[in-house]
Amino acid sequence: MPAPDKLAALASLRRELAGKVRSGTEFLEECERRDPEEATALAGLDAILGGGFKRGRLTEIQVPGPSRGGGLVLASLLARARQAGQYAILFDVGSGFSVESFPERDLESLLWVGCDSAAQAVAVWDVAARDENYRWFLLDGRDCTPEDWRAVRPAQWQRIVGQMREREAVGVIFARGPVTAVAKDRLELVSPLGLESLHQDREVIAASLRFRRVDGGAGENAGRREGGERRMAG
Amino acid sequence: MEERKRKSDTAKAETGYAVIWCRDFRLQALKRRGGRDLPVALVDDTQRQSIVLCCNALAARSGVAPGMPTVQALARCPLLRVDRPSEASELVASRLLLETALAWVPGIEETAPGILTLDLSTQPESDWIESAYRLCDRLARLGLEVVVGLGETPALARIAAQTALHEGAEVWQLEPSARLVQLDRLPFLVAECGTKLREKLQLWGLASLGAFARLRREEVAARLGDEGVELWLRLTGRLRRPLCLAKLEELFEEHHDFEYEEHDREPLFFLLRRFIGSLAGRVAATGRGVAAVHWLVSFADGSCQARRLALPEPSLDEEVLFRLASSPIEGLEMKAAVIGLRLRFEPSDPVATQRPLFGKGLRNRHLHGETLTRMRKIVGADRIGSPRRLDTHRPGVCERAPLAAELGETEGPPPGPPVTGPTLRRYPLACRTSVQLREGKPLRVESARLTGVVIEAHGPWKSGGDWWHRGQSWERSEWDVALLNHGLFRLVETPQGWSLEGYYD
Repeated sequence: MPAPDKLAALASLRRELAGKVRSGTEFLEECERRDPEEATALAGLDAILGGGFKRGRLTEIQVPGPSRGGGLVLASLLARARQAGQYAILFDVGSGFSVESFPERDLESLLWVGCDSAAQAVAVWDVAARDENYRWFLLDGRDCTPEDWRAVRPAQWQRIVGQMREREAVGVIFARGPVTAVAKDRLELVSPLGLESLHQDREVIAASLRFRRVDGGAGENAGRREGGERRMAG
Repeated sequence: MEERKRKSDTAKAETGYAVIWCRDFRLQALKRRGGRDLPVALVDDTQRQSIVLCCNALAARSGVAPGMPTVQALARCPLLRVDRPSEASELVASRLLLETALAWVPGIEETAPGILTLDLSTQPESDWIESAYRLCDRLARLGLEVVVGLGETPALARIAAQTALHEGAEVWQLEPSARLVQLDRLPFLVAECGTKLREKLQLWGLASLGAFARLRREEVAARLGDEGVELWLRLTGRLRRPLCLAKLEELFEEHHDFEYEEHDREPLFFLLRRFIGSLAGRVAATGRGVAAVHWLVSFADGSCQARRLALPEPSLDEEVLFRLASSPIEGLEMKAAVIGLRLRFEPSDPVATQRPLFGKGLRNRHLHGETLTRMRKIVGADRIGSPRRLDTHRPGVCERAPLAAELGETEGPPPGPPVTGPTLRRYPLACRTSVQLREGKPLRVESARLTGVVIEAHGPWKSGGDWWHRGQSWERSEWDVALLNHGLFRLVETPQGWSLEGYYD
């Protein structure tokens, strides 16, 4: 049993420090509140998104054709996730992911899921979205056609976004065109890569990537279509 | 040298054993939950004449003794309750004994029914006595009265346990520093030596174990032979043997045989939940976790289905264990009625690692395991994993490893050569291509996927390997080409022809 004077000193020290010292949990919660965005290493992307990817939201990155830098954005996100010690899950439609294109270290926090179709990828995402272990959900649907996306039930997107919002996860879809109306941010990669980029430092190429915000248009069409489907279902 | 000697002495002092002895184990196993206030005897009625195997203190007070004919025992004690030994009760009591002892130390030998020998080297010597008393209390609450003997070797601990039985003590320690002095007070009976030897020693005028232990080994060997030497070695602490450790695999098991044929899954789930609650409590009492769950369902047609379900990390969460065990039963094909269910927990040593406060790793490994199982059902088991490169230059070869449960710190750029160029996205199937060449360089590409004019080409980048493995050699020439209005592609020439491997993005 410690001496009463030591207990009194300890109590006064606690009172004195009460307002100055936070617990680890409080500190982490404060950090989360302070940074609602997940910034990336891509200045152009962060600028257009207003600081980075919003947690609990779905973002579409439209890559209109090959060699626009979609893979570079993906590589950048994997590097970001690994650096922050967060797990990412990649739903790879077509299984075109080439492991040698990514630094080995960035793959440590990645779970790769090979999918046959967009519908299958979304079905797996629907399962994975309930798992609190993952912070980044990436869907690589660059080889999917608009018909593939139409096979996805809109309710699944709604459920996925709901789960992501609950867990403050980040969802990014890489596709050739618009995918779903539930995506709040829709960007397009507009700068084609030249053959000289094959020998350039990846950071240099990534810095040169240009993005454009896509508003309305096809996205709205997608929304109208989903709305229509919902009405029909109702 | 001095210091090493001191360390060695200290280590030796901490080597110790305990023997847990459950007197009249077969009787106690049967009367664990009641009948202690009556004179009870276990009898063997398989022979021509029924005889008493063992009896409790009340019966002994009335003159009943082991080996006595049952008729005689009943004549001496008319209120004597006579029972047959029960193998099932003994099995339950053995498990209880072992499980309770496991909460003390992990190294346990089941020396004989109702007798356990424990290796105490994993616990500080200062805690032995307290732990022994605690164990006696816990077992008493479970209806088993035991004594504990502590000693330097298994043999000395057994002598200590016998002494405790004779002196009516709960715990008795034969201390290494005062061993001979303590042995001076002990009769030969507690050393469990043969009657002939005991009589011979008494004829010699030896009255205690201490007096015998003080004799010289050569003299004992010359006069008493192997039996005498064996006793001398036991008493002097020179007879050491490794313990034959008890197997824990089948310790935590429950089973139920249905009295009627069961066609529904609901009763199985009910039983599972009940078994899990009971087994998890028993595993928890030993300070361990559950590493895997085994279940076996027996059907009326003689078939059975069994599964071993491993957990991502040891757990005692009953909900997690139930989800794990019940999900395969949900998909079980009930071709015939169920007649039995057996559930077994595989215990594991407690997880000794402490995760850092701000640690980077999986938050919930059980949930991760369940998510993987569900995702595998959708896409297939071979299409999920953390991609890892293999030690080869062959492009596109990788393995899918389990996701790392803990992530190390990352500082600075990734190790290895600097990362250059965009990433490659492979086509799922090699796209056969017809290539028009000019001066050895691709000029025009035609394929089912796309057709285009090459505006710039870099290459060829030749590679090959595995020629030292029969039938596995490979060689290829790669071209990086920019196709007009299409983008950057990788064109590959192999002995089988040209193909478009993928595009850079």
